[in-house]
Amino acid sequence: MKRAGTYSGILSGGISGRTGPHLLPLARIKKIMKKSSDDVKMISGEAPIVFSKACELLIEEITKRAWNITVQGKRRTICKEDVASAVITTDTFDFLVNLVLDSANSQDSPRP
Amino acid sequence: MSEKEKENVVTEKVVSEADELPKTIVRRVVKDKLSQLSMDSEVSVLRDSLQGFCESARIFIHFLSATANDVCKESNRQIINAEDVFKALEEIEFAEFVPPLRTSLEEFRQKNAKRKSESLKAKETSKKGKKKEPSSTDGVGNKEEDEDEIEEE
Repeated sequence: MKRAGTYSGILSGGISGRTGPHLLPLARIKKIMKKSSDDVKMISGEAPIVFSKACELLIEEITKRAWNITVQGKRRTICKEDVASAVITTDTFDFLVNLVLDSANSQDSPRP
Repeated sequence: MSEKEKENVVTEKVVSEADELPKTIVRRVVKDKLSQLSMDSEVSVLRDSLQGFCESARIFIHFLSATANDVCKESNRQIINAEDVFKALEEIEFAEFVPPLRTSLEEFRQKNAKRKSESLKAKETSKKGKKKEPSSTDGVGNKEEDEDEIEEE
């Protein structure tokens, strides 16, 4: 079994010259950060590391809430609707509501 | 028609995947969390829902970056640092993330400091090794002898 996650983590660490507890690739995080705004130009070396861990915590939080909904529905597979419900029912995830609504609309449109 | 639409969706996904976070890593984070939450029963995740996790993380980075950039500007600086990110997290109501992130950053700093000191030591030992080498090698020794001969003359 290939562990692509750890390998890509090592590769990304090699590119930036740093390896550490983070999992998500720092170069890609930097790329996404720079796309967020034209003003974002200079980023310290430590900022992507904080972002990487913050993303991890966010994903864990969404997972926990989506899992609660899955379990309440007496199911064992987290589906997209569970993730959407988790986002909608959590105030701090308001910035993700548009994403959830867009994905719901895109799902509805192909079905006549 | 539906097949073409599906192809278009796939191509769009391929273009945007380069800007997204890798699904394999996101999947591992989700799986690890689920194994913590459900010790008895196995809970799995549909592929489609993984896309939701990836997109959520990407939008979170956008949102947090823009907020951290504002914090940085207010302090009349141009480089976004870790403290700006921590303040931004508090502003967007993710203050609960700050303590574990500080711990994680501190661990990274300590590891980095260790690596730097180890690499400095390695450089010093290699320099010492090079200084000792000229007396032992024949090529360099021969040149020195030639110079001596020239000087004598």
